[in-house]
Amino acid sequence: MKKALIVLDKEWLELRLQPTLLLATLILPPLITAFAIAGFFAVGKISGPIPQGGPLPPEFASLAPREVAQAIVGRQFSTLFLLLPIFIPSVLASYAIVGEKRERTLEPVLATPIRTWELLLGKILAALIPALAITIASASLFIAGILAFAVTDRVRDIVVTPGWILAVLVDTPLLALIGVALIVVLSSRVNDPRTAQQISAVLIVPVLGLLFGQLAGVIVLGPALALGIGVILAIIAAGAVWAATRLFQREVILTRWR
Amino acid sequence: MAHAIETHGLTRKFDGRVAVDGLSLTIETGTVFGFLGPNGAGKTTTVRMLAALIAPTDGDAIVAGHTLGVDDTALRGSVGILTEQPGLYDRLSARQNLRYFARLYDLEPARADSQVERYLHLLELWDRRDEPVGTFSKGMRQKLAIARALLHEPSVVFLDEPTAALDPEAARTVRDFVKGLKAEGRTIFLTTHNLPEADELCDSIGIFQRRLLRMGSPGELRAGLFGAGTVVRVVGDAARYVPVVRALPFVREARSDGGTLTVELDDPDSRNPDVVDALRAAGARIRYVERLQHSLEDVYLRLVGGHQ
Repeated sequence: MKKALIVLDKEWLELRLQPTLLLATLILPPLITAFAIAGFFAVGKISGPIPQGGPLPPEFASLAPREVAQAIVGRQFSTLFLLLPIFIPSVLASYAIVGEKRERTLEPVLATPIRTWELLLGKILAALIPALAITIASASLFIAGILAFAVTDRVRDIVVTPGWILAVLVDTPLLALIGVALIVVLSSRVNDPRTAQQISAVLIVPVLGLLFGQLAGVIVLGPALALGIGVILAIIAAGAVWAATRLFQREVILTRWR
Repeated sequence: MAHAIETHGLTRKFDGRVAVDGLSLTIETGTVFGFLGPNGAGKTTTVRMLAALIAPTDGDAIVAGHTLGVDDTALRGSVGILTEQPGLYDRLSARQNLRYFARLYDLEPARADSQVERYLHLLELWDRRDEPVGTFSKGMRQKLAIARALLHEPSVVFLDEPTAALDPEAARTVRDFVKGLKAEGRTIFLTTHNLPEADELCDSIGIFQRRLLRMGSPGELRAGLFGAGTVVRVVGDAARYVPVVRALPFVREARSDGGTLTVELDDPDSRNPDVVDALRAAGARIRYVERLQHSLEDVYLRLVGGHQ
């Protein structure tokens, strides 16, 4: 475990030395959050009827127009917090693993007395910890914004639901883990971090499905659904980590990664 | 420890293709062993097996007192390896690169710092210690990679092409450094294509092409393949003296090239006076008499060429 922390320390040192990557990756969540809160606040000032593009979820039926506006904006942005933990660690992990493969630094590392699981764990933690920390911090800021600027308690209860909080706390770390494991799997085949990111971006598809399902009223993200999704994600994450571990063996890296 | 490295029938196959075939060798502690062979001969695979990076398909080995496959983590901690590519983190400074590896080699922070400082001084990189490695020349990168392989003071060091693509001055620095490592009692396993370098540095040499073709000291390899001989330089064309020396019963072969007469015989030290007498009796005017020297390149080409 000590060596995993040494790897983690080095990864973060390298990250600090890449201000562009660091800024592009870590500035996004607070920016989106600030934009979301500003938008949420702004639509709360709307007076009069608002144009509707389609049917609204049943729980919106009794809301006043500006409540509806805030509920729609709040819910749309809330789903973004499920996407961020996929996006951020994918970027960090792809540079940490594909970059190391491209620079041919893996062999000297593997020649040390480090165990491969320690190296893998260090890499995974280096990508996951900042991603989850910034996501949870931004989500907390988002909740504070909703509590502060919701025009009524009904809006607050529609946006900040137990199901959404559970999804952020349980589902997003699993999604992030799947993303990182997928990057490891892809790393054995690609030599460009951006290629790995693009392929792993396929993970956002089910999250977008959740967003549109919610907006159309087809899906209600309650605690049961969030936990159910969590169970499915946990199974997928276990499989992805297993595959990543198999591909991230000393011998496989040295003889089959091209 | 009697031997630094000992292998028995070490074999590695990749999908049925044999990369290393039954390698058996013994390398004495505190010596420099040259591992020579053409590209694709299996040298890197051998080094990777001996450094416990990949497992052998068959056979066994003891390296630095550790049996391969028993405690490979401990084995890796007892050897140092300079890989074919330096593989350095370009954004990190020289000191940060070395400190990272020192910690991976289980050195405590204070000891890691002192070792990093020691090797940066030894390899003349101290003045550039805080600069990103991406700004370093090829020679500096190579020296840094060598320092990295030595931070934990390994008893066995694998150096894969340590002077490849270096300018003569940097190559000389590295060669002198290797001599210093040997003087410290370390065992060096040197993979190189630079035959004069192998000749200069190595106590013993293995010529390898998927399997070990021949092993011995540079002198033994020369004598074993070519035998001993004498070169006589005469005034005028030496061709007319060829029959004279061929007539001597102890001469195995004689040939001429301009004013040079090459005589192959078993015991030059005691027979040279007879050769000189015979030539003088035939009217030859002798400029020089020298020992016949075959280069390691001649040995290598004969063995590898003959095997292909």
